[in-house]
Amino acid sequence: MADERIVEIKGLVKQFGGLTALNGVSFSVDEGEIFGLIGPNGAGKTTTLRILATLLLPTSGYVRILGYDVVKEASKIRELISYLAEDAGTYRNLTGYEYLSIVARIYFKSKRDVEEAVEEAARISGLGDRIMDKMKTYSRGMKRRIQVARALMTRPKLAILDEPTAGLDVFHAQHVRDIIKRHVSNGGSVILSSHNMLEVEHLCTRLAFIHRGRIIMEGEPQEVKDLYGVSNLEEAFLEVLKR
Amino acid sequence: MRGLRPLVEKEVKDLLRDPRIYIGLIGPVIMFPIIGFAISMAASQAAEAAMGELTVMVIDEDETETSRRFISLLSNVGLKVIDAGSKSLDEAVKSAEKSGSKALLVIRRGFEESLRQFGRVNIEVYSIMRSMGFESMGVQAAVGNVLGRASDILSSTLISKIAPNVDPEVLRNPLNVTEYTVVKGRVIHAPPGSIFGQIVMGYGVMVPVFLFVIAMSVAQIAATATAVENEEKTLETLLTFPVSRYDILLAKLLGSSVVAVLGGIIFAVGFLLYFQISLGGLGLNLEMGGPLRELPPPPPQSYILLAASMILAILFMTSLGVVLGALSSDVRIAGSLLGVIVIPIMLPSLLIIYASVNSLPLPLQIIVYAVPTSYPMIMAREMIFTPMPMQVLYGIPYSAALTLMVLYATSKILTPEKLLTLQHKIKMRRMKGKAGRELE
Repeated sequence: MADERIVEIKGLVKQFGGLTALNGVSFSVDEGEIFGLIGPNGAGKTTTLRILATLLLPTSGYVRILGYDVVKEASKIRELISYLAEDAGTYRNLTGYEYLSIVARIYFKSKRDVEEAVEEAARISGLGDRIMDKMKTYSRGMKRRIQVARALMTRPKLAILDEPTAGLDVFHAQHVRDIIKRHVSNGGSVILSSHNMLEVEHLCTRLAFIHRGRIIMEGEPQEVKDLYGVSNLEEAFLEVLKR
Repeated sequence: MRGLRPLVEKEVKDLLRDPRIYIGLIGPVIMFPIIGFAISMAASQAAEAAMGELTVMVIDEDETETSRRFISLLSNVGLKVIDAGSKSLDEAVKSAEKSGSKALLVIRRGFEESLRQFGRVNIEVYSIMRSMGFESMGVQAAVGNVLGRASDILSSTLISKIAPNVDPEVLRNPLNVTEYTVVKGRVIHAPPGSIFGQIVMGYGVMVPVFLFVIAMSVAQIAATATAVENEEKTLETLLTFPVSRYDILLAKLLGSSVVAVLGGIIFAVGFLLYFQISLGGLGLNLEMGGPLRELPPPPPQSYILLAASMILAILFMTSLGVVLGALSSDVRIAGSLLGVIVIPIMLPSLLIIYASVNSLPLPLQIIVYAVPTSYPMIMAREMIFTPMPMQVLYGIPYSAALTLMVLYATSKILTPEKLLTLQHKIKMRRMKGKAGRELE
C-alpha cells in the first residue's frame, strides 16, 4: 500500500560482481521535496537513482517508493515515477512532438489528457517551432530539454532526474530549474543528482552528500553550511571529506 | 497492452525514416529493374548482332567442287564468306581477327571423298571472341545455327540420293513422342519435366527465395532497431515507462514485421520487374504456370496454412533479431551476430529447395524440422500434391511455441542489469577475437 513518504531507503547495498557501488545507503524523501544527491564521479549517485527507477535490482536493503517495493512492485512504481537518465538519448527519426505524443499516449488514456500533456511539454521544452523537426537535427541542449519535458509532462509523483541541467547553457539551465520548482509546487516531488553545488544549493530543499557508496551527510542546504561554518556547499563537501 | 499501439507506431515511424532501413527497402525496386534493363539491353544487342550480317573466313583445304558448293551453301543460308586463299592456319586466324570475321572455318582435305562414301566430314570452327558479353555469345550461337542448317541441307541431299521417296526428317527422327503427365488423376498435355520445372520454379524456389529475403530482412531490421536503442541510450528510458517488457518486445516484433513485410512486397515488385524486363529482353515466354493451369489449384485451406506458417516463420526470425539486437551494444555488433547466427539457422530450411525433406539423412531432417522457417517452404513445395501436409500441421503449433519461448526468454533478459552484463561479455569476446586476429 502507498503511504505519504515518497522515498524510503534503508541499508541499500548494490554490488556489481566484486565491486560494491552502494554500501548501506539510507535516506528518505518526503512529499513536496526536491532532494539532491551530491557527490563526485563514481560515488554511487546514478546507481541509487537507477535502483529507484526500477532499472537495477538492489543486492540488499529496503527501498520503497510511495510505499511500494522496488523489487516486488516495480510495475506499480513505473506508473508513479519518471526517470531522466544522465545520457538519455532520443529517437533520431522522430520529431520532438511525435516523441512527446507517443510517451503521453503510454501514460494517459484520454485524448484530452494526452493533448494537454503534449502541449505542456512543448511549452516546457521551449523549442518553439523546432519541436516539429526530427530530433536528429537537435543540439545536445535541445535534446536535454525535450527529455526534461518528457520526464515532467506525465506529472509524476516522483521525478528522478540524473544531472537534469547537464549540457545546458546558463539560460536553459535556469529555465529547467524553474520547471522543476513548478513541478514541486504542483504537488510533485523530485530527487536529482548534480555535480553543480550551486544549483543544488538554490534548488534543493534537502540534500545528501554521497561518497564511495555511503551517505556522509544529510540535511537542508543552510543547515549543512551552518554546521561546518562555510559559505557554500562546495566548501561544506570538502570539509566533510576532511573530517 | 495500453502502451503497445504507440510503441508500434514509434517503431514503424523510426524504422521507415531510418536511411539504414529505407535504402535497404527501396534498393531492390530500383536495382532489380536496372539489372533487368542491363540484361535486356545486352540480350537485344546480341539478338541484333546475330540477326545482322555474319562474316566468316574459310580455309578450303579440300578445293573440290563439293567443298566449293558447300561454301556457296553457307553464303545462301546467311553467312558472308571470305576466302582465306592459301594462308596457313595461323595467318588465317590473324587475318580473320583483323577483318572482323566472327569465326574461321577450316574444311579439311577429304571433304568430298568422305561425303561420297557417306562418311562424316570434319569442319573445324575457330570462334573469334572479342568480348565476354551477350553480343559475342549471340554471334557464336548464330554461326552454330547456320552450320546446323547447312548440315541439315547436306543430310537431306544425301538421304534423297539413297532413298529418293523417303522424307529425310522421318529417317532422322523416326519416333514421334507426345508426352503427357498424370497428376492427381488428371492428364496434362505436358512432359513431367516441364511440370516439375514449373512447380519447382513457382512454388519450390520463388516462395523460399521470397521467404529467405523477408526472414533475413526482418531479423536485420529487428536487430538494428533494438541495437539502436542500446546505441542511442533510449532503451533505459523505455524500460522505465509503465509498459511491460513483453509489450516492448511485442512492439519491436510487430513494428519490424510490418516494415519487413513492406520491404518484402517492394522486393517482390522489384523481382517481378527484373523478370519482366530481363526475360522479355531475352525473348523468353513470361507466362508462368501454362500446363499447371490444367491442375486443380490447391484448396483455400492450403493457402491459409502457407500464410500461417509464413507469418510464424517471420515472427520467429523477428524474435531472434530482437534478442541479437538486445545483446548488442551497437548496430555493428548486431550485424556481426546476425551473420554468425541467423544465416546458419536459415540454411537447413534452404535445403528444401534442392531436395524433399524425406530424402535427407535423419540428422538433417531433424535440423530442418527444428527451424520454423522450414514449414512454409515445405508447404509451398507440397501444396500442389498434398493440400494439408502433416508435418506442416504439426509444425505450426511448434513454431508458435518456439517463438513464444524466444520472446519470453528475451523479455527475461530485457533488464539493464542483465543486458549490460551480456553486452559486456559479447563485446569483450569480440575484442579478444579481434586482438587475437591482429596478433596473428
